[in-house]
Amino acid sequence: MKITTTRFGEVEVSGESTYAFPEGILGFGDIRSFVLLDHPRGGPFRWLQAIEVPALAFVVTDPAIFFPSYRVAVRAEDVSSIRLEDIRGGFVLVILTVNRETSGITANLQGPLVFNPAGRLAKQVVLADREYTTRHPLVPVQKP
Amino acid sequence: MLVLTRAVNEAIMIGDGIEITVVGVKGDKVRIGIRAPQSVAVHRKEVYEAIQQANVEAARTAPSDLPTLPDLSRIIPPPSAPPGGAGTKE
Repeated sequence: MKITTTRFGEVEVSGESTYAFPEGILGFGDIRSFVLLDHPRGGPFRWLQAIEVPALAFVVTDPAIFFPSYRVAVRAEDVSSIRLEDIRGGFVLVILTVNRETSGITANLQGPLVFNPAGRLAKQVVLADREYTTRHPLVPVQKP
Repeated sequence: MLVLTRAVNEAIMIGDGIEITVVGVKGDKVRIGIRAPQSVAVHRKEVYEAIQQANVEAARTAPSDLPTLPDLSRIIPPPSAPPGGAGTKE
């Protein structure tokens, strides 16, 4: 399937990289279909691109790369809408924000994205845990 | 805004599917129980607004805003596998 995007032009996407967000993403209520794209220049970044809205995309990353101790504590009812019965079958990505003035990158650890790859479903979970905020600076991982 | 007075253990129905119960009152804090269909997300408003605002800001990012690989390699070790793959994460 070919989709049109503002950032990447026309992109060919396969069904296995598409995800339905049954509850949408806060702030973008009616948009439900997204696809995970690799960052054109490689590295730890990927893009969550809205399939039907060319201009809507988020930079996402695997939090384990930058926040090794980060854990997403979800209850069964948090992920029942994406039919994730066994949490080990899912994976987590977090949305990044780049501050254009400082070029600083922050990660939203309070609202992680939980994916169910088998069901092609995903959702933004809002963590009740006050330990995490929407703006954690991407702390470089030190080499051992 | 509709304003109703309720006592502890009294409830309000919103439509057919949403029930809001006053569970307890202690000083200036009210404990509220919410029963709602799974399709209705329930959040504390300040958390909801923080996530919403973060999402709106994040959606402004352009690919050119991200550091290039040489810049990145200085701050993170090279990934041993393609990142964010279909592997299991906690």
